[in-house]
Amino acid sequence: MFYKHVTNNLSAYCQGELTPTECRQFAEHLISCNKCRKEFEEIKLGIKLAEQLPRLSAPEHLWTELQPLIDRETNSQVPLARRRSFATAWQTQIAAMAAIVLVVASLGFYWAYRNQMAPAKLRSWQVARVDGTPRIGAAGISNKGQLAVGEWLETDGNSRAKIDVESIGQVEIDPNTRVRLLLTKPTEHRLELARGKMSARIWAPPRLFFVDTPSAVAADLGCAYTLEVDDAGASLLRVTSGWVALQLKDRESMVPASAACQTRPGIGPGTPYFEDASESFRQALAKIDFEHDITPASRTATFDVLLGESRKRDTLTLWHLLARVDQSDRARLYEKMISFVPAPEGVTREGVMQLNERMLELWRDKLEPSWSDRTGVSKAVAEAFWSARNGFNKTAKKIQEK
Amino acid sequence: MEQRAAMPEQIVDKHVIAACQQGDREAFRLLFEAYKDKVFSIAVYSFGGDSAVADDVTQQIFLKLFTVIRQFRGESEFTTWLYRMVVNACLDERRRRRRFLPWGDTMPIKVGDKKPQEKQYARLEIGEKVRTAIAELKPKFRLPILLKYIEGLSYEEIATVMGCSKGTVASRLNRGHGELARRLSHLRDHVV
Repeated sequence: MFYKHVTNNLSAYCQGELTPTECRQFAEHLISCNKCRKEFEEIKLGIKLAEQLPRLSAPEHLWTELQPLIDRETNSQVPLARRRSFATAWQTQIAAMAAIVLVVASLGFYWAYRNQMAPAKLRSWQVARVDGTPRIGAAGISNKGQLAVGEWLETDGNSRAKIDVESIGQVEIDPNTRVRLLLTKPTEHRLELARGKMSARIWAPPRLFFVDTPSAVAADLGCAYTLEVDDAGASLLRVTSGWVALQLKDRESMVPASAACQTRPGIGPGTPYFEDASESFRQALAKIDFEHDITPASRTATFDVLLGESRKRDTLTLWHLLARVDQSDRARLYEKMISFVPAPEGVTREGVMQLNERMLELWRDKLEPSWSDRTGVSKAVAEAFWSARNGFNKTAKKIQEK
Repeated sequence: MEQRAAMPEQIVDKHVIAACQQGDREAFRLLFEAYKDKVFSIAVYSFGGDSAVADDVTQQIFLKLFTVIRQFRGESEFTTWLYRMVVNACLDERRRRRRFLPWGDTMPIKVGDKKPQEKQYARLEIGEKVRTAIAELKPKFRLPILLKYIEGLSYEEIATVMGCSKGTVASRLNRGHGELARRLSHLRDHVV
């Protein structure tokens, strides 16, 4: 572990000015150090702001006004042209013409290089074939390939592939999957999962790696998870270590290790649940999350099942539901939750009923050990996760618009 | 002042520079076209958005370049040599005008008469706020940011232009980024 604080070099880290070894040490330190991580978020914002600085164009009249000044300057000295012999002048003209030809040729090569070589070389991820013949665009991968920004990687029923996500992790692509690289830069890496299944293992600071699906955006914090998208655009997230956030518009779900969360197009993420919850609990939750046309009586019965089947650990689900249900259901949730974990000091029933943000956070902090104790996720990592809650509104809104 | 694509610098090679050193006006025109937007941008941002001053400073820089380009020996990259001249010219002019124009005095940049689309307008508005915030930074934090984001220089190149170490550049950029984030934290949702 790299213990020295890294705040002085955060910009260099974000802008790719450090060596791979230094980058790895930075990433490790950032995951474990709240102070540097907070500063890292600030520096990332500063960089994004500076990137908005528009480049301006010089006014057209500048050259027109500059010429007489150059003439005056030239005339005040012994003019170079008069010192040249006729032959030298010819040589200069030929040299200038040659220069112009070279300029045009250089320009052509520059554009050809930029259009054909640079995207693959500078903005791409390495893809390795695992089984079958995965394809990047129309080309099959026999062993290794490069996935450039904007390109699709597709596997058929017999093929699988593995992607190296810069120096921050790996993504495995299962059969019948279609993914696209949307963005890769030191401050953000983003994939689109259109359909199929991928497994990600990421060892990076919060909010560096994102996956856009048709119904939510997934962001991680040094974690491992699988994400599946079906043909209708619904997805299922299953977290095996760390934490992952799913968000669409103002709806957000935080999913810890051993938990899962479903999403639906037009609705966004459902409520996270532990995978060892009872079948009845999970069915009731799916009904509450995604079936909005059930009768009030049926909803009450479903809620009864959910509360009856819940365990202390399922306060993860109950806590998320607090802000998603009406007053009467919220009151029932509150009573059930305090039977597992008493509300901490500073949290009142009235405050919870009014969805007081500070009180909900206090209670969540108290509940959190019962959500993560089986996975061994450290409090520091969990805190980092919760502190990284805000931030993907923009992309989430775009997906919502689609 | 509309934003538009700049002419690629790649067209300025050693032959063009050699021709400029021989006083070739056409070659110098090529060099001017390649660098005018970047030089002008730095001048505008260095003088609080005052395009009239930026006009003058840009002309002075190219006039000086025309007369001293013969002194360029090719011992460093031409761009490094040029940007060092630009930075020094801006600092000199700044010192000269200090009595008349305090650093913080900024003027809105006109972006042309064409009515912008809503999206473009929002982008320009953010750009304008960023520009104002950068203009208010101390020169030692502002210049590395301009060289990084306007000229696209690496930390090593900025260090050469500014005559300091790469570590100093990293530290100053870090301070500059942090300062921008603090001043414009309300724009977080618009840029993140």
